Amino acid sequence: MLSRIVKRKAENMRNKRLRLIAALLLGAVVVVQPAALTLRAEDTNTVELIKQLQKRIDDLEQKVIVLESGKGPGGEANDAKAKEHVEALDQKVKILEREKELEQEASEAKAATAPKISIGGDGFNLSSAKGDFAVQLKGVLQVDSRTFFDNPAVVGNDGLLLRRVRPILEGTVFRDFDFLFVPDFAPSSGPTIYDAYLNYRYSPALQFQAGKFKVPFGLEQLQADRDILFNERSLVTDLVPNRDVGFELHGDLFDGRASYAAGVFNGTTDGGNSGNVNFANDEAFAGRLFFQPFKKAPATALRGFGFGLAGTYETTSTTSTAGLPSTTGGTLPGYFTDGQQQFFAYNPTGGAVVVADQERWRISPQAYYYYGPFGLLGEYAISDQAVRRTGAAPFSSAHLENTAWDVSASWVLTGEDATFAGGVIPRHPFNPAQGDWGALQLVGRYAELSIDSAAFPLFSDPTTSARSAAAWSAGLNWYLNRNVMVKLDFSHTAFTGGGGAGTSAPATVTRKPENVLFTRVQLAF
Amino acid sequence: MFKLGMKALLRGLAVLAVATGWAAGKEITLLNVSYDPTRELYQDYNSAFARHWLEKTGDKVTIRQSHAGSGKQARSVIDGLDADVVTLALAYDVDALWEKGKLIPQDWQKRLPNNSAPYSSTIVLIVRKGNPKQIKDWDDLTRPGVSVITPNPKTSGGARWNYLAAWGYALKKLGGDEGNARDFVARIFKNVPILDTGARGATTTFVQRGIGDVLIAWENEALLTLKESGQGEFELVAPSLSILAEPPVTWVDKVVNRHGTQAIAQAYLEYLYSPEGQEIGAKHYYRPRLEAIGKKYAATFPTVALFTIDEVFGGWQKAQKTHFNEGGVFDQIQKANR
Repeated sequence: MLSRIVKRKAENMRNKRLRLIAALLLGAVVVVQPAALTLRAEDTNTVELIKQLQKRIDDLEQKVIVLESGKGPGGEANDAKAKEHVEALDQKVKILEREKELEQEASEAKAATAPKISIGGDGFNLSSAKGDFAVQLKGVLQVDSRTFFDNPAVVGNDGLLLRRVRPILEGTVFRDFDFLFVPDFAPSSGPTIYDAYLNYRYSPALQFQAGKFKVPFGLEQLQADRDILFNERSLVTDLVPNRDVGFELHGDLFDGRASYAAGVFNGTTDGGNSGNVNFANDEAFAGRLFFQPFKKAPATALRGFGFGLAGTYETTSTTSTAGLPSTTGGTLPGYFTDGQQQFFAYNPTGGAVVVADQERWRISPQAYYYYGPFGLLGEYAISDQAVRRTGAAPFSSAHLENTAWDVSASWVLTGEDATFAGGVIPRHPFNPAQGDWGALQLVGRYAELSIDSAAFPLFSDPTTSARSAAAWSAGLNWYLNRNVMVKLDFSHTAFTGGGGAGTSAPATVTRKPENVLFTRVQLAF
Repeated sequence: MFKLGMKALLRGLAVLAVATGWAAGKEITLLNVSYDPTRELYQDYNSAFARHWLEKTGDKVTIRQSHAGSGKQARSVIDGLDADVVTLALAYDVDALWEKGKLIPQDWQKRLPNNSAPYSSTIVLIVRKGNPKQIKDWDDLTRPGVSVITPNPKTSGGARWNYLAAWGYALKKLGGDEGNARDFVARIFKNVPILDTGARGATTTFVQRGIGDVLIAWENEALLTLKESGQGEFELVAPSLSILAEPPVTWVDKVVNRHGTQAIAQAYLEYLYSPEGQEIGAKHYYRPRLEAIGKKYAATFPTVALFTIDEVFGGWQKAQKTHFNEGGVFDQIQKANR
């Protein structure tokens, strides 16, 4: 009897406990549901709340299991209802989690379409997500010194100078249109536009460029200013046109094994940059073919070999009647040493002047070879200039064929690769605290320039202008990192001819060989 | 003597060509911009085509793939994504390349057989093991308490097929009454708790995240899910009526002309119609066009009565304008369901 009473009481208590737990469960569900519904992405605690809800579901599931192990009358219906609620709650939590996941994916997708900004060794870059629009801010700063030795006739040439101060703005619009603006703030005459062009890339093989840019001719001239081995380019560059205003078709063929460029320009003098405006009815044609036949060859030793041929042809519709300044050039400038001193001028005696006369053509075979730390570059150039002597008898005209060649070699002592474009990138950028010192490169060059003998004496004074110049140079380039370098070069130039009386160039320059020591601190990014 | 000399010269040139890399075939890259569930299909197909092209021409081709919702992909191509070929979920999205970008000619569908659709598919249902909600046909998706997973028709081509399949079924069952069909579809979308942007995302929601009672899916996606789940976690429910889905393909003229890849892009798509291409499609549960391949894989595909979009909706342009454009029926349904 007692045992029956105890048993009944126990059953009553269990039933009451079951009802209480079920009520708690439902209460929890009722409380949790609105809480869950208020969760939105804006709530930064959503993830934490989801975790809390998940934990409560787990607790409730445990309770359901406990209940299932001791069901009383009416318990099954409650259990089923509770289970249904738990499952519904579970779905809601999963949906919230998935919504959070999708929001995350959407924000990542949005980030992928956001503009990209990067700052590094390549300058400051800003581009649209797809790269269709991009702007890069770069620059070149070159601070030089020149010290001349053993020529008392040359004075006032030693000193420090800002050789190049060029902010570079380049970029792309609508994916296929590239632009470049390069002013130079270094010239004492004031800021000058060096490059300003628009290039349309139809394909790598077919591109059209318009504006002011380097004429496709001289190999060393086409090498970027930041990458040249010495402070100044060689004597060959005296015969090579620099930048000009024009239109050009160019491109790479056969996976870059061949490249071509052909353009029409205003025309410019040997070593000259054209002005931004030229209405002289002149026109010049320039073209260049360059081959790297082994660029894709299995043998790496052959890949860095390239050779090419370039030419220009131009006519001047009017002969210039302007006299040629005897020391600074003009329509027909003179030629300059590595130390940027004039050793040849169209400076006939007797009051005569020399003007350009209709036709000028140039041709230049050229080649380079790069393999590992070793680099070799050479070119030959002929500049054929039609000239006319006016102002004083005997009046005369001639075609003067001036020639020049050079070979330069380089060796990166620290083992990094030498390249035509891109310079030397140190494996261990300068960081003395860690014992890293950057890269060292040994460089050497030999160059000659010969003036057509027919130039003397009617078109140039043989007692002051040199008939030829030969220069050797040697130096050491220290690449602290990919942006900063220091150069130390020495250049010796010997002359034949000239050296006579006179108090200005070219007489003073050609009187003795030129010995000049250069230094340069360069920032390029 | 002369012949011997010529032979020696030619031999020497050949050796030189190999040594210098000139004799090596070209390396070509194509970008295939596709819709969500075709990843596995094109992974296999691209390998097969690359082998085929190497044997045929000696050129090495690499095909990059891009996958997302079909509508989204079409917009990306119009906005400048450099797709050599597009393999999208529906003709409307490819039409947009002509209408909005003039990237392809207007008659692009005539360039390849079967309206440029090398394979077809349809829309089916996937339920959880044991089909706990007893879902047998489209009607069951309208029941309160049935959670339906389908992607967003605004971004997903598959979702538009899903929507139109349900609509076509309702039209037939409810006596061709558009109002009833609209109400039918509205009730289905009332049961959709979450809208993914693409078909693959919806599969993830249903299969991996465990959300929903039924997934409306491409037939190929459903069969792939059954195969990959491996332990009978899901069941395929073939509805009594569904839509014939014809995912089209084409090369993008403006891009291939610029890349110089027109010939290979065309060959790439034409190869989809070859026995090898068709077999790869069938292995990935796309219904083949070639009869022989169709017979071989007949047992793979459930029997479903199919209607075409032209029959019921008057073509994609009309269906898009009525249902999916801004302020269209789908937008109205969603607004009312909120």
